[in-house]
Amino acid sequence: MKKNKYLLLLSSVGVFALLVYAAVSENFLKEWHTIQSQARTTEGPIDVRLRQIVNPSLGTTDRCVTCHLGMSPGETIVSDLRAASAHPPVVHSPAEMGCTTCHGGQGLATERLDAHGDVEFWPEPMLPARFAYASCGTCHVPLEVPNSERFELAGRTFERLDCYSCHRLDGRGGTLRTSPSTGMEGPDLSQTGIRGFDSGWYQGHIAKSEESGSELWAKSFREISEPDQELLNTFLSLQMGAPRLIEAKATYNSVGCAGCHVTGNFGGEIGVDLSRVGEKDPNRLNYSAIEGDHSLSNWVAQHFRLPLSTVEGSQMPDLALSDDQIDLLTFYMLSLRRRSVPDIWLPKDRVRSMRFGVREFSSDPETIYKAVCSACHGANGGGMRYPGLAPYPSITSREFLELASDEFIAATITKGRPGRAMLAWGERENGLTAEEVGALVAYIRALGNGVDFIPDARPRHWAARDPRNGETIYRANCAGCHGALGEGGEGPALKNAAFMDAATDTFLFETIAQGRSGTIMEGFKTPSPVRQALTDSEIESLVTYLRSLSASGKDFGK
Amino acid sequence: MDKSGRSALREIWGNLLAAPGRVYKTAFRSGRPTTDRTRSSFVFGNLFLHLHSVRTHIWSLKWSTTMGLGLISTAAFLITLVTGILLMFYYKPYPDVAYQSMKDIHFVVPTGRFIRNIHRWAANVMVVAVILHMARTFFTASYRKPREFNWLIGWGLLVTTLALSFTGYLLPWDQLAYWAITIGANIAQSPREITDALGITAYFDVGGLQRVILLGSDEVGAEALIRFYLLHVMILPLVLVSLMAVHFWRIRKDGGIARPENVDELIGDKERTSYPVFTDQPEKTYHLAAIVKGKTPAVGNGPENSLPSMPHLFYAELGVLMFTTLICLALALISDAPLKEIANPLVPENPAKAPWYFLGLQEIVSFSAFTGGIGIPALVWLGLGLIPFLDREKEGTGKWLGGPGGWSLFAWSLLVGFGASIGIEAFAIYFGWLREWFPDVPQLAITFINPGTVLTAIYAAYSIYIVRRYDSTRAGAVGLFTCFLCGFIVLTVVGTYFRGPNWEFYWTPSDWPGH
Repeated sequence: MKKNKYLLLLSSVGVFALLVYAAVSENFLKEWHTIQSQARTTEGPIDVRLRQIVNPSLGTTDRCVTCHLGMSPGETIVSDLRAASAHPPVVHSPAEMGCTTCHGGQGLATERLDAHGDVEFWPEPMLPARFAYASCGTCHVPLEVPNSERFELAGRTFERLDCYSCHRLDGRGGTLRTSPSTGMEGPDLSQTGIRGFDSGWYQGHIAKSEESGSELWAKSFREISEPDQELLNTFLSLQMGAPRLIEAKATYNSVGCAGCHVTGNFGGEIGVDLSRVGEKDPNRLNYSAIEGDHSLSNWVAQHFRLPLSTVEGSQMPDLALSDDQIDLLTFYMLSLRRRSVPDIWLPKDRVRSMRFGVREFSSDPETIYKAVCSACHGANGGGMRYPGLAPYPSITSREFLELASDEFIAATITKGRPGRAMLAWGERENGLTAEEVGALVAYIRALGNGVDFIPDARPRHWAARDPRNGETIYRANCAGCHGALGEGGEGPALKNAAFMDAATDTFLFETIAQGRSGTIMEGFKTPSPVRQALTDSEIESLVTYLRSLSASGKDFGK
Repeated sequence: MDKSGRSALREIWGNLLAAPGRVYKTAFRSGRPTTDRTRSSFVFGNLFLHLHSVRTHIWSLKWSTTMGLGLISTAAFLITLVTGILLMFYYKPYPDVAYQSMKDIHFVVPTGRFIRNIHRWAANVMVVAVILHMARTFFTASYRKPREFNWLIGWGLLVTTLALSFTGYLLPWDQLAYWAITIGANIAQSPREITDALGITAYFDVGGLQRVILLGSDEVGAEALIRFYLLHVMILPLVLVSLMAVHFWRIRKDGGIARPENVDELIGDKERTSYPVFTDQPEKTYHLAAIVKGKTPAVGNGPENSLPSMPHLFYAELGVLMFTTLICLALALISDAPLKEIANPLVPENPAKAPWYFLGLQEIVSFSAFTGGIGIPALVWLGLGLIPFLDREKEGTGKWLGGPGGWSLFAWSLLVGFGASIGIEAFAIYFGWLREWFPDVPQLAITFINPGTVLTAIYAAYSIYIVRRYDSTRAGAVGLFTCFLCGFIVLTVVGTYFRGPNWEFYWTPSDWPGH
């Protein structure tokens, strides 16, 4: 039975060989060993050992600096290694915050793919470098960001007024300073949105330029108009060291996403809540319709291009966004992430958003309209028709604005249209205040070239014909779109207390008679080859019938 | 006084110099084991070695007799023991922290991942080896008198092995672990299917009780983790070691490995001549065998065709130990033990799968929780335990598929076993089952008529037919056991490779939705 001896001998030799291999690969073949053994400081080779940045209160243990030696605190590597490059100057110290707090990835890992999170079972891969500043959204939430037109205008104003000559902003400008002693350089404005700034800066500048008599002041400072001052204030309040994040958010606030989506403390509930969409595990997404790499950023970008083919059954319309907008919106989506951190790490903006309900878009009517209304009613209020969705009516057409009183529009905005996509924007958490709604109504009228409401001499409820007659007409003409009992179908529900409360009989009469441009509601007074035109009295009995449909058709006594 | 004091000091000095030699002598009393006699007394006088008999039958040393499966199981257990102790230095049994410590073991602990891989592979090797060992014992009819009790101990060892593996499954605290244990706990809860159907769950909730006992709470959480950890590192290893000791002890007491009656003829003289390896000079005959039941040694053929356990058996044992180690190391280098995302009770794995050896059960559970979770396992455990007490025949003991039917019965049983299980699976996958045809059918009907019970019925009918045809319990047992193995393999393979999200059938994971 010598074969047992050979089995023992050969197996033992094999085991020994494998153990030697394992020991060698553990001690010499690991990438970080190789990198560290090549690295030198001015004083010679460095210790080959594991390096890490630990921040218990943030819950990070980041071993990234085991390879990225140049970013390891207290070590200056002089070797010509890729890993030797130091971290670019940023607001937060990497030595304190660690790496994964901002960049994502797997801090515990010591192997390249695992550490960068490019492995199957790590839900949080590193943010691509060009989206790195999206990580600011982990803790920060930029507040009161205007729409992108205004944001760009503010940026251009800052530039046009030559503020850069004295001030530095995100590493740019401050070049006017002639010698170190003159002290002409103004303060760095990169973080005015976080740290705050002197609200009396303009008066200060005026005073200084008058009293100093210095040639530089005289040459460089001119009076600034009030609108420009306001733009500069807006601009300053947004500086937090992450310019692209603000730009991305301004884009989000310009295409009406909030009409359907919640982010943080405000938004509509029609679409999914986006508050933490940037945390989606890229390994759990459906890529069957996605071209290119399987990353969250690519998935999100593709989703903006083709929402329905990316997410089965998605109601999200194709908003016909430009590539630039898609890139910025993707950036913003990636910034919507959270991390449970102790309260002391919560920045002021997050606290203001969470505890005090400060909104993430600014409250001027233009931004409100663009942030909340524009996706459905169109950038100019002309209404939108998306395939597969009920048409969104025009709200700036002449006949609508002439027919709809300010109270009616305000009531519709505040209370919404139950059962329709129009939500009650005044009756929700951090919803629009009465003043904001008022300003919004004025803005809508301005969009419609200032068409005013034509007051109606008649009382709110004047139609009093035979509702049975109206019912017959309703069955023949209206039920197809508005439902057999007014419950709504392709057209809005008419058995709808909120709507019936807000609408006067005149409004109903004229809408039936003239139709509603931008929707499939046509004027029934106009003859058509497919049906008879209705007479005034027929429309009146129809209105009477509609009133009877709604149980709570309260009379306002007007 | 001066003189004697000096001589005492000299004596101490001398003793000190002689100490190493004396330590050696007192430890190894019988001197260098160069002859069979000294080797025998070396084996006999050593606590750890004396579990072996001093001499081992040549039949037992043949590779074809046992294929070393019991030794492989033991070796794999020793490997998991050593690597497991190493892992315990770093592992922390608390949710989330456990996962972090797994990451540390992977990335920071020197050769930590390698050690974990070995542990994981050795555990799988152990499960496979234990099952095959059971099959070997069955197919050589080695469970027969006087080894019935040892079969029962082996039966307990199988259960303990599966329990050890299952409890270890949760410890990494990743998604795989979390949802596998959730599935396992649901299987434990499956008596509810019956109590629910009878409407008595509120008074008599065996399923819920089993689940709570298993998890220590309603959900898989910190309680379950510490419970599984304690079972895995302490209680179950102690149970296993105790059972193993009894198992080995019984092998000796029952006269070694089962041998055919005509073993001497089968061996002939050929094997005998390949010895000795070392000098073989018995100084006198001795009959340890006298205290072991068995026949008196055949005259002129050495004592019972046996060889000194040292070195022959030890070569075999160490050879298998090193071979198993080699296999585990090689597998550990080739394939990493899985570690998925951190356990997240809010994100169910779909499909959530139990450990592979329970996937056959999970497959049946997908038809009926009670059948897969309690009914069929209970039948299997009961049937396996009863085998040595039902089969009291003598023919073919110690021979592969000795006895009525032989290899042709085995081949037929493979055909029936695979045919029926694949057929039933294909039918259920292709045509659906009662619930798809009659949506209102009561759950009790499905509990009693589902692919699992139908398959069991076919196997039972087949083995009854075999019993009658060969007029032999053993033949029926071979038929049933073979069918059981086939069913186990088919259901496990289907559950492992062909079930995707929502336990739907898919040919490959690349067909799963979303890929």
